[in-house]
Amino acid sequence: MNSQAFDRLIKALLDGDQSVAVAEAVDLRNAGVDNEQIIIGGIETAMGKLEAKCTVEQFNLLEIMLAGRAVTGVIKALYPDGPPPATRETVALASLEGDVHDLGKNIVKTVLLAKGYRVVDCGKDCPLETLIDKAEREGARTICISGLITSIMPLVRQVVPMLQIRGLTGIKVLAGGAALKQASANSLNVHYVADSVFDCVRYLEESTGQAPVQSQ
Amino acid sequence: MNSLQRIQAAIHFEQTDRVPVIPQVFAHAAVLVGKTLGAYIRDGETLAQCQLKAIAHYGYDAVFALMDAGLETEAVGSRLLYRNDIYPCVERYALDNIRDLDGLVVPDPNLSGRMPELLKAASILRRELRNEVLIVGCVLGPMTLAMQLMGPEKALFLAADEPDLFGRVLDFATDVAISFGLAQIEAGVHTPFVFDPSASPAVVPPQFFREFLLSRLKRLFSALKSGGSLSNWLHIAGPAETIFPYYPEAGVEIANFDYCVNPMRARKLLPETCLNGNIKPLSFVEATTGDISAECAGLLAQLAPGRGYILSSGCEIPPEAKPENVAAMVSASRAKE
Repeated sequence: MNSQAFDRLIKALLDGDQSVAVAEAVDLRNAGVDNEQIIIGGIETAMGKLEAKCTVEQFNLLEIMLAGRAVTGVIKALYPDGPPPATRETVALASLEGDVHDLGKNIVKTVLLAKGYRVVDCGKDCPLETLIDKAEREGARTICISGLITSIMPLVRQVVPMLQIRGLTGIKVLAGGAALKQASANSLNVHYVADSVFDCVRYLEESTGQAPVQSQ
Repeated sequence: MNSLQRIQAAIHFEQTDRVPVIPQVFAHAAVLVGKTLGAYIRDGETLAQCQLKAIAHYGYDAVFALMDAGLETEAVGSRLLYRNDIYPCVERYALDNIRDLDGLVVPDPNLSGRMPELLKAASILRRELRNEVLIVGCVLGPMTLAMQLMGPEKALFLAADEPDLFGRVLDFATDVAISFGLAQIEAGVHTPFVFDPSASPAVVPPQFFREFLLSRLKRLFSALKSGGSLSNWLHIAGPAETIFPYYPEAGVEIANFDYCVNPMRARKLLPETCLNGNIKPLSFVEATTGDISAECAGLLAQLAPGRGYILSSGCEIPPEAKPENVAAMVSASRAKE
């Protein structure tokens, strides 16, 4: 019975149907399934299927945004007093100073949260110093930069050298977004250029080798 | 054969003396002549003079009376944030609250925001270049303008949650594009370029394009053509192959295709539509002239023999592009003379 209920939850998440997804998640919990199982069996499975779909077919922002909104709704329903503790590393996320587009950044944030990462959103039009300060303060292991305009590329190239000057050599830097993904990691002086949000997640999982930590 | 004749011939798959070349030089023209981007997008006289100097410098086949993607939404009532060295962005959306939709008015292009400055630029360019060179205007396509009126996230969620209401936003955006496009034609442009990057399959799925955008683009192109537009020219960014089959029905006569699209795949999907593309925009900033020449040669080898092709970039050439790279593209078109 639970298997069918999980299938319905996964379908609702993939359809981006927030109200049905929330209702299915609440039904599962009322049937005695704990929140952690709902997240692993429902949300994480749905995100994996969405990733596979976006790889095989075509990536489009609308479907990812709708799925992300449904995931957010389910998490709020399961944890009305606040989100559960993150199960994966901390990621600092920003669009750099001069770039005021944040749709791409917000989608990355939604997917990373759904995958259990702790996300420090430094916003759009973010000065480099602010991003690095926050990454250090919050213990980020990775900085993700989303960019829609090519004119921010000189700033992107400064991130790794600035981290080195501050002794933060353990922090990896990823770039993505319509403008930045035209460039190579070498030319941007970053560790990786992600072609899509799921490519970003794949890199994070592979580079840290970090499986989700079971919550206490 | 002058530039305008060359382009007209290409559109109709007729023989040309050489392949026409239209780098999408917008604010790069300002950088080239030492003006700020901020001045370029605010003042029609400055824009026109920069475009005239750029075409004199490079010798390509078209000029653009085009400011930025904030022009229409500002004219409708959005507030923009201006800076001197980058394009403006929306600070407050005219349609932040969908309940305000009924109160929105299609702006008068002769009175609203910077529209009169754009029209001034168009008339100067036409006066100076007459019918020697293609004078291109620009209107935002319905999807992109809807997102510029509401903000991208609100627009996309409304599209999913209340499609009929979102359809009314698209209808309004289409009305704005028609009104502004016709005013541009009256001011002197030969063809308003329809710029709709947000209609890309990277943003919305192809079935969304078919159900929500195709009919609006068809209405827009039909109105522009009736108003005297020389050709219906559409730009949609990203991997647009899945929506190419709808272009003929929409009335598209020139399809600008992005760098990620295989040129021969585009030709196969659009056998009777003039193609226009597709050098990667960033290459004009980062690559060498040798790289650009080689890329252009590859495109010309694939697409020139079948006619119906205009050598171009896949999207806007970044303002900070290296001038020698733009020149290399123009030279490549002449190598086939």
